[in-house]
Amino acid sequence: MTLILQAEHLTKIYGAEHAVKDVSFSLAEKSSTALIGPNGAGKTTTLSMLAGLLNQTTGTISLNGETNPDVRKSIGFLPQYPQFFSWLTALEFTEMAAKLSGMDSKHAKIEAQKTLEFVGLGEALKKKTGTFSGGMKQRLGLAQAIVHKPKLLLLDEPVSALDPVGRREVMDLLKNLQQDMTILYSTHILNDAEEMTDQLLFLRKGELVEQGSLGDVRAKYDSPRYLVEFTSEEDALNFAARAPWKVSYRGTLGLIDITNGLPEMKDLLGYLAGSGLTVRKAERQTASLEEIFLKVAGRR
Amino acid sequence: MRDLLVLFQKEWRENTRNYKILWIPLIFVFFGITEPVTNHYLPQILEAVGNIPEDAMFPFPEFTAAQILMSTMGQYQFIGMLVLVLGFMGTISRERKNGTGTLLYVRPISFFSYFLSKWKVVSIIAIGSVWLGLLTSWYYTELLFGNVPASDFFAFAGTYSVWILFVVTVVLAASAWLPTGGAAGVSLALVLVIQIIDSLLGTYWTISPWKISTYATQWLTGSPTMGDFWWSMAVTIIAIIALMIFGTWMSKRNASKTKV
Repeated sequence: MTLILQAEHLTKIYGAEHAVKDVSFSLAEKSSTALIGPNGAGKTTTLSMLAGLLNQTTGTISLNGETNPDVRKSIGFLPQYPQFFSWLTALEFTEMAAKLSGMDSKHAKIEAQKTLEFVGLGEALKKKTGTFSGGMKQRLGLAQAIVHKPKLLLLDEPVSALDPVGRREVMDLLKNLQQDMTILYSTHILNDAEEMTDQLLFLRKGELVEQGSLGDVRAKYDSPRYLVEFTSEEDALNFAARAPWKVSYRGTLGLIDITNGLPEMKDLLGYLAGSGLTVRKAERQTASLEEIFLKVAGRR
Repeated sequence: MRDLLVLFQKEWRENTRNYKILWIPLIFVFFGITEPVTNHYLPQILEAVGNIPEDAMFPFPEFTAAQILMSTMGQYQFIGMLVLVLGFMGTISRERKNGTGTLLYVRPISFFSYFLSKWKVVSIIAIGSVWLGLLTSWYYTELLFGNVPASDFFAFAGTYSVWILFVVTVVLAASAWLPTGGAAGVSLALVLVIQIIDSLLGTYWTISPWKISTYATQWLTGSPTMGDFWWSMAVTIIAIIALMIFGTWMSKRNASKTKV
């Protein structure tokens, strides 16, 4: 596993405020990393520093072993709300982007067209970007970020502005890209992070409060439990009162949480079978990323 | 320097597609026509408008051809400068403000190319507009007032072009430095306000970029004092180069203020 990017003790201070505080992480080649955290956690600031738009106050960024290099040569960047010159067409813009990243004119034109087709803008090549919808802009933003085949792709909320269909499509595109590029993306849509990530970085108030693979983070914050659903609230109340484990319940449907002193599944089922209560469903649950998120984000 | 070419093309497309390449020259040409024409037909215009007592006699001033060209330039010195400042004050600051700059700044461009591409396009439009306007004015002056020798005219328009380049550079450097509103304020102060101060107190000095337009007009009636003229030209060109370096530096420094 080769490391492509290493950020060490990255800090950005505005006046007296620490927008990003002592953040260190590394990205392995062709891995995908999700940067998650509540609004104002410093996700965009972190990405801007990696993209070379902002200078860090302290700390170092190494790319391919080179310390504080001109990152602009190796990255593709998609801002959260990409803005285009409204008077250029999608093809003109993407072509310009490719040329500015050092591609020669002939290749730039071919690659621009191919990339636009890849992101699903094949029909809109000659349309002025000023007429584009939000979803089209997001796709064009992705196209300009990948047209020059960068090693490292930095995406700020790549799918948050899209409808469910568009989100699905863009996630599939990103999975496709992952075969050739290292991807670091921020998101607050946790399903997406859950779907495509080798590494999670949790930011809160500018600090990296948790990092690791999805499995590791889940194991750390997971509090396994059983959820038993009864047909009536009465049965739920009965269960809560008589069961040999610590039980909490909520709702008229008789939802039962077993949060403490976890039994084996077979013991629970055996107990339920002998209790005469009418059970609709009994399942073992693991924490979703959203629950982990709330735990990490809310941790004092 | 390939990025310069690509960025130049982008700037050129921008100014063609937002029609600045059309309406800015039109304004200069408009004043190039109206100055000679209205001055020539002033008596007839006043008569047609009426309200002048039958027996009133006005000694209408007799303008020379040179004076007409000078008054065309006088219009440019106020309205023309206003057009250039307001038309181009957002050239760089707007790209930061609306975030379109972001996707340029994350690419390996040199900020000198970035500034220079804009400077070239704006200079071409400004100089082109001024020359079109002055040539039109020269033509109508010839028709209605009399001859201004070509050598005088070219010395006049050529000298004035250096002032126009100075103005363009001031506007772009201010736009690189400040948000659009501030850029407009600084540019108007440097171009118009100092111009007035220079004309009020300027007898105390002879070498300054704000004297260039005066020296330009002196070519029409004779020639400016050579020492003062060349020194002012040299100072102006140095100022232009310094402002370009400043503009490049500010474009780079302020790139981090772009909307992400």
